[in-house]
Amino acid sequence: MSPRYLARRLVQAVLTVLFVVLLNFILFRMMPGSPERVLLRNPHLTAATMQAARERWGLDKAKFPVSISFDPPGISLEPENQLFDYVAASFQGDLGYSLQFRGRSVVDVIEERFWPTILLIGLAEIVAIVVGLGLGAYTGWRRGGVADRIGNGLSLIVYSMPYFVIGMPLIIIFAAELHWFPTSGMSTPGQDYASLVDRFVDIGSHLVLPLATISLGLIGGYSILMRSSIIETRAEDYVTTARAKGLSDRRIMTAHAFPNALLPTVTIVAINLGYVVAGAITAEIVFNWPGLGTLTVDALKARDYPLLQGVFLLLSVTVVFANLIADVLYGFLDPRVRT
Amino acid sequence: MRTRTARAFGAVALLMAILLPAAAAPAGAANDKVLRLGVLQSLDSMNPYGTALVVGYEVFELNFQQMVGFGSDLEPVPDFAASFERAADKHSWTFKFRPDMKWSDGQPATSADACFSWQLALDAIAADTNIGLGYLDPALKNAGVTKVECPDATTMIATTDDNSSRILQTYLPIIPKHIWGKYTYETIAEDKLFEPPADGKGLVGSGPYQAVEWKTGEFVRFKKNPNYAVNKGFEDEIIIRFFSSNDTMVQALKAGELDYARTISADQFKALANEPNVTTVNGASNGWTELGFNTYGTGTGKTIKGGGPSTKALQDPAFRDALGYAIDKQKLVDSVIGGYGAIGTTQIAPVLKAWHVEPTQVRTFDIEMAKQKLDAAGYKTDASGARLDKENKPINLRLVMPDSDANFAKDAQFIVDWFGQVGVKVTPKVYDEDTLIDLMLPPEAGDPVKYKADYDMFIWTWSWGPDPSDSLQVFNCDQIGSSSDSLWCNKDYDALYQQQLVAPDDAARLAILTQMQQMWYEQAPYHVLYYDDNLHAYRTDKFAGWKNQPANGTPLFSYSILGETLLTDATAATATPAAPSTAASAATSAQPSAAPTTGSSTSSGMTPILLVVAALVVIVAVGLTLSRRRRGTAEEE
Repeated sequence: MSPRYLARRLVQAVLTVLFVVLLNFILFRMMPGSPERVLLRNPHLTAATMQAARERWGLDKAKFPVSISFDPPGISLEPENQLFDYVAASFQGDLGYSLQFRGRSVVDVIEERFWPTILLIGLAEIVAIVVGLGLGAYTGWRRGGVADRIGNGLSLIVYSMPYFVIGMPLIIIFAAELHWFPTSGMSTPGQDYASLVDRFVDIGSHLVLPLATISLGLIGGYSILMRSSIIETRAEDYVTTARAKGLSDRRIMTAHAFPNALLPTVTIVAINLGYVVAGAITAEIVFNWPGLGTLTVDALKARDYPLLQGVFLLLSVTVVFANLIADVLYGFLDPRVRT
Repeated sequence: MRTRTARAFGAVALLMAILLPAAAAPAGAANDKVLRLGVLQSLDSMNPYGTALVVGYEVFELNFQQMVGFGSDLEPVPDFAASFERAADKHSWTFKFRPDMKWSDGQPATSADACFSWQLALDAIAADTNIGLGYLDPALKNAGVTKVECPDATTMIATTDDNSSRILQTYLPIIPKHIWGKYTYETIAEDKLFEPPADGKGLVGSGPYQAVEWKTGEFVRFKKNPNYAVNKGFEDEIIIRFFSSNDTMVQALKAGELDYARTISADQFKALANEPNVTTVNGASNGWTELGFNTYGTGTGKTIKGGGPSTKALQDPAFRDALGYAIDKQKLVDSVIGGYGAIGTTQIAPVLKAWHVEPTQVRTFDIEMAKQKLDAAGYKTDASGARLDKENKPINLRLVMPDSDANFAKDAQFIVDWFGQVGVKVTPKVYDEDTLIDLMLPPEAGDPVKYKADYDMFIWTWSWGPDPSDSLQVFNCDQIGSSSDSLWCNKDYDALYQQQLVAPDDAARLAILTQMQQMWYEQAPYHVLYYDDNLHAYRTDKFAGWKNQPANGTPLFSYSILGETLLTDATAATATPAAPSTAASAATSAQPSAAPTTGSSTSSGMTPILLVVAALVVIVAVGLTLSRRRRGTAEEE
């Protein structure tokens, strides 16, 4: 891999993130509604209180450096504006304070929700990658067989099911009826743990159902992808050569076909890993998982601009760098793209 | 490959073997004394002055007492003040405090704390502003409180300039001066104040439970206050869990992870009626769902360039009145809210029985009557049957509603049909709440370019506090640009509003409120479609003593936290059959019995043992497979 290739990819990633910083600000302020809505429905509020709230939240300043009015037509410059404040603060790593969770810094709020999402979606991705790619390779290698028909059929079914449809039956059966696992949450609220093992077990038991739900959803996609890839690889000349050399069917698959079939899936898997941070919003809602997915929904409802900006910046950075890793990884795997 | 796969399965099986036995016991079935409540809100702030949510009120009411509490029938009862008495001239109240009262940290609780807490609000009122989000201090303003004095440690005297007893309904927490004494009305609402201290001792207060932990988006936890002297609940701890999904919350209740679920859907409510150890309660709410009209210009003659109502007919009370006959409210109650509610009439809900007065002539569903009234008011039809306004334009009304409640769209379907039968075309459209607020605000909200009140009708909902002033006030002329969404203005109504605030006694106030309700009903800026019930459910296998507040309300999340302090141990009492579900008696008051039941319906003592056996079998099987695969691989290579 040439340093030039690496540097080019790195610069592209940094420029993308810079663009996202700007876009984040503009996008959310173009949405209808505002954080003051909480105040405007209170019949008792005085004008002074509303103005004070706007000032405290930095909403009293103009949004952009330039104001355009249509009635009467005119353009004016706004040296004091929210965009400059936001960009300056962002470059210092200050994402501001959440409006919804009054006074908590955006970094603190995101940090609280970051690790639960990484734990849940990260594990689900690992399970899905291992099982999904394995299942896809197996069914693709035995194309047309019973295993293929069943495996591919099941993959298509779970792939097309939203998390809500997978998750709710699991809750009803395994939590509400059988009491094997808790219905929701990440841990038992208010639990005092005697040891780390107790804590691990508690979190683990809460993790099982959401993990199963998300894994099932992802396995379908990975399996379908891997199956088509392995079917293509199966017809390659080197596979025929390997057969002619008398290698066992299993050895051809594991040593020759599977590694080559893996190549096209790397990009998809890497990009999907970028979405790990975004979480699976519906799954987090169904299982009341305290992650970034539910946080994003809450922040959107409240028009919590600073929190939305922070969450989307994090998501964008993760996706951009996951793509960068995919590019680099692809460079290692496929010499043709190294320059 | 197979070996790796087998190893992966082995690892998963091992993990399951560890987790399953530990997880097999239902989380809520342990014989603990923790009351677990579920809500569909996520606490926004622990600061009493900074919360805008019902769950926020519940949190600060558990932590802090108010001057006077609400009894089972909403009567004033001692809370921070042990007694309260009005002077003969009606312009001052004397509150007496117990000399031995203590804060949860052991410090004495005295009149100085009461004076400090109320003075904060009075200072904000004097400065013509609010504390924080402004939901609490108006209570003193509405009660006409002008001054507080504390002549000794056990006495506070409040001077008022009105004759009402609203001073006994103030949702204003009494906070400890020795903790918050350095704060003013401007700084006490600062963010992050009032959060539970890290030492685990709890946020100092005099309420029955102290907050010890808040995990945003997850739960808030309370521990019992040993110094609380009024009622002591059986439970040692209270945990309020925040849910994003109604379905998940109901499943958690069924699984025994929750003891109480607030706000469930009508379908879930019916389904829970047959669930063992679960009681459902449909409590009459102090709120409603309305069909409102954009009457902008009524009483003011103003118009909005590029916005406002699409026809002047909406400013005509006769037009709005006629449309009222084209609404079958009973059908909406039965079909949309499953029978859990009552048909709507005036702007004071019947649950405030002391103040609600039915109009002299209630409109009934009668399409022919609606047509006759529209004809008589000068709204004729054209050849196609379309109703024309007085400018001879066909009337096409834009009906808007938020997406926060699926029932609004169902209401709209009926209204489109009924209004269509009288020749009025209605086009419904659903928005998210933020967009809708922007769409509905008039120029008076501050930005004439952005806010144009560009709609004709809306379906939305309101809920109110124990005094009717709030629901009356929202129709005042000065609320246009703030909380008024009908944008209706009537100077006579405004004058009556001011008069009722200073009425010499309850009888005189009732006479004014009767007049206001009649006037409002006839003018019809809203048609209240129904007073929808609050649908809650609770378990009876762990806690007994559930008591509705008031009798036709709900046990918890009502006017105060009284319900939390009345609970008893269900397993200690004699087992008697649980009260039947109130689900069958829609639109009637719920009377859940305090009678407890024992035992859990679904947990099985055998389950953990079976699971351990199953896990061991899996481990052995996987182990055998692994060893066979290893041998096979070695042979092959």
